[in-house]
Amino acid sequence: MAYYDVDAILTDAQKVPCTFELDVPRLGYLDNNPGHTLHASTRVDLPIWLAEMLAVSNITSSNKPLITLDLPPALTPRVMNALKADAKSVDIRALAQNFYGLGVRILELFEEEEVCDVLMGSWRTRAAEISDHAGNAGQGQRGGGGGAGGDGVEFLRGLDEGERGLFRAQHDSSKAMRVWMGEMKKA
Amino acid sequence: MALPLPPGLTPSEVAFVCELEMVTVVPRQQLKSHDLLSGPTPALRPPHRAPLPLWLALLLKRQRRANIIPPPWLLPTSLERILRYETETSPSAFSPPPPHPHTVSVLPSATDQMTPPFLPSSTADAPSGHLPYHWLELGEILLEACSDDIPDPDKVRTLLRDLREVRMAKMRASTKELEGGGVVSLRGVGAMEVAEGRQFVVGVMDGLRKLGASRETERRRREEEGGDGDGNSDDDDMEME
Repeated sequence: MAYYDVDAILTDAQKVPCTFELDVPRLGYLDNNPGHTLHASTRVDLPIWLAEMLAVSNITSSNKPLITLDLPPALTPRVMNALKADAKSVDIRALAQNFYGLGVRILELFEEEEVCDVLMGSWRTRAAEISDHAGNAGQGQRGGGGGAGGDGVEFLRGLDEGERGLFRAQHDSSKAMRVWMGEMKKA
Repeated sequence: MALPLPPGLTPSEVAFVCELEMVTVVPRQQLKSHDLLSGPTPALRPPHRAPLPLWLALLLKRQRRANIIPPPWLLPTSLERILRYETETSPSAFSPPPPHPHTVSVLPSATDQMTPPFLPSSTADAPSGHLPYHWLELGEILLEACSDDIPDPDKVRTLLRDLREVRMAKMRASTKELEGGGVVSLRGVGAMEVAEGRQFVVGVMDGLRKLGASRETERRRREEEGGDGDGNSDDDDMEME
């Protein structure tokens, strides 16, 4: 992830549920309670870049982390089961804009063998589907702008940023190929 | 990412590289030998066949000074055989590339490293029934420039289309079996197919690598075993940056 990569920044800005382990004075505005103390065991959603730093740092005297992290809603067992059942029918964009980026960040913090397996499996199955759609979308254009099928639109709307990148890559290369073949015919 | 062009070659660049391939021509006019960077061309005397680089052959063809003899693998029977191999004999793997014309022995020799365009894989005496590295682009270029020299050009065109479809489907299906660090065998894949599939396959691989990165570091840590807690947290910090 490059420093100026917008997708990396947006990934880091996604929120994860955290539980405070300490009372923090005057931080109550995080919990819609401005001016008051944020009590221990309050659950707050924090962006991942902040939560990560607070969770791994040992700034307190008792060597206890300031907050504990939970799995974000996008990576709960319910979603994992849905991905296992049929990866193609899950609208992962609705869960998180950078779903796989979030997954990578979470896997760095948690030891979740199963989540890792499910994410890799779903990335692989969905990639095959994406490549089919990317090829077909181009062919529709060539045939005179016939729009993609309703099913395809639904699926493509549910792609996260990484998958959109894949779609674009596949679409561009098959388009370049068609342009070249078209030129061959004209020349 | 900041570069305007994606990595790898574009289709027109692949086609340009392909024009270095040697093809066999039957000249219609005499032409004396020319000194090219790649060596002198043979002197052309009308009834005798001569090997020429594709770009020169296309030039002469366009000026009606020569006819190009299509390579044996571009004939309909050969293409049909390859297509049958691709669909029936090995529905998952690509058909093998043509055999190396020089015998490869245990002792290393200079010819072991030779690859197209320095191997004549598209001349009239190339083996049939195997797709060489530049099969798709060479076939398209020849169909375009000299369809009158190719027997049954329409059939050849449809067979090339079919082969391309079958092999692209295999390429796409191969991503399903990709593991984090492993690659499916791409033996026999042509230059144009690499150019077309590269971005997608690399993208999928990259995604898998990122997802598996944490597991990989964990595995490495367990292998080292001796590493103490401090060292590991340092590693983790580096990962986060």
